[in-house]
Amino acid sequence: MFQTVLLSLTEGFGKTLEIFALTLLGALPLGLIIAFGSMNRFKIISWPVKLIIWVIRGTPLMLQLIIIYYGPGLILGNNWWGSGASGRFTAAMIAFIFNYACYFSEIYRGGIEGVPKGQREAGQVLGMTNTQIFFRVTLLQVVKRIIPPIGNEVITLVKDTSLARIISVYEIIWNGQAFIKSQGLIWPLFFTGLYYLLFSGALTLLLGWVEKKLDYFKV
Amino acid sequence: MKKICALLLALSMLFALAACGGSAAPAATEAPAAEEPAAEAPAEEAPAAEEPAEEEAGDSDLSAIQAKGTLVVGITDFEPMDYKDENGEWIGFDADLAKAFAESIGVEAEFIEIDWDNKVFELDAGSIDCVWNGMTLTPEVLNTMSCSAPYCDNSQVVVMKADAADQYPDVESLAGLNFAVESGSAGEAAATDNGFDTTAVTTQADALMGVSAGTSDACVIDLLMAQAMTGEGTSYPELTATLTLTSEQYGVGFRQGSDLLDAFTQFYADAYADGTVQNIAATYGLEGSVSAP
Repeated sequence: MFQTVLLSLTEGFGKTLEIFALTLLGALPLGLIIAFGSMNRFKIISWPVKLIIWVIRGTPLMLQLIIIYYGPGLILGNNWWGSGASGRFTAAMIAFIFNYACYFSEIYRGGIEGVPKGQREAGQVLGMTNTQIFFRVTLLQVVKRIIPPIGNEVITLVKDTSLARIISVYEIIWNGQAFIKSQGLIWPLFFTGLYYLLFSGALTLLLGWVEKKLDYFKV
Repeated sequence: MKKICALLLALSMLFALAACGGSAAPAATEAPAAEEPAAEAPAEEAPAAEEPAEEEAGDSDLSAIQAKGTLVVGITDFEPMDYKDENGEWIGFDADLAKAFAESIGVEAEFIEIDWDNKVFELDAGSIDCVWNGMTLTPEVLNTMSCSAPYCDNSQVVVMKADAADQYPDVESLAGLNFAVESGSAGEAAATDNGFDTTAVTTQADALMGVSAGTSDACVIDLLMAQAMTGEGTSYPELTATLTLTSEQYGVGFRQGSDLLDAFTQFYADAYADGTVQNIAATYGLEGSVSAP
């Protein structure tokens, strides 16, 4: 019995890791693009972007999942996701990536705007182009500054992946809960906590290591 | 300087990787999308051809399902109605009957485990074609779906700690206890009808957990569930089912106005007449519960 549960939970955790990794891969770059959009000096660009950030950050991820997956079929009358597992997973990924990109964009913005203006002016005096200033002066300091808040979001994401179960993406919590209904076993659900703890523990160590690596220069 | 170079390189690699991930995700997005038009095109054409007869728009459900070749059945893991055998195949009274029904309309049954709270969403959005999982025919269900005639009987029972069961021999003695019930379930309706003090929880399993943990005195759940989850060899050996409050009936839910319902009614009458229904029921120990069409 223990083996069956372990196998099922590990399989579910594989899905959890998939959601986690793909969300980071999609949301980290997308967040930077959104950050530039919201900082754009043309209001025609920055306002719509800020509106999107407001909507995405201001509504529960659970609701976004439901709207993205069921919306096309319910509102447009054309369920382009299909009924299979791949459509559900894709819909979940889109919701997660957009949601997290919006949070990341605000962290990036904070990091970029936090670099003193004097450095930029100094760069201009030395005849550097804007691109050179961003990549050679600003970016490195931004990376160092944003590691702690990004780490915070990353750890939150580990646990937020469980929301995907709402549109029947079979991640670890789903598999844990399944044992309650099918076998009358409640311990597998509690056991999933161990997976989350071990994984977020490993991430904490990794983030600590990255921070230490960046410790050689002080901002 | 060297370190900065290394860091920049590492960063550019990260972004390169990120770019890979970025393009991989849309590729995955496109895959199902690309399959979809192919699968849906014939289904899409069928209603288009019938466009002039507008009141027949709901009529296309059966032909749409036949065109895509699968009947997608929304279920949860619920022994003995729908559960997996050791090969991972869905079996059970409902699952076997659903397979037979799919065969009768010339398609294959595909089972999808859904979140029970979202069953109406799933049905209306078209991600499933029917809800077939020991669903109690409550007024709410009858209002939101096109439901079949009842095909199976069930009842709502009180579950409490076995050592306290003797003190509560009848419904009157239960007044004053706190009951855990699944929100929106038939059990909740039964408890409210009897004037019990209730606490709504998300699932029947949570209700049982509450009784076991002592946060509630008793709960009201399905008889089938109570039999599967209480007593020796389960997580709740100390709990037992006592009184029966109401009896109820199970039905199959289809999209509102779907012609699939007529196909099912026809199928069930035939399958009952030739004994298929009774045979499947006997396999899962439900021969006493099935209803005649």
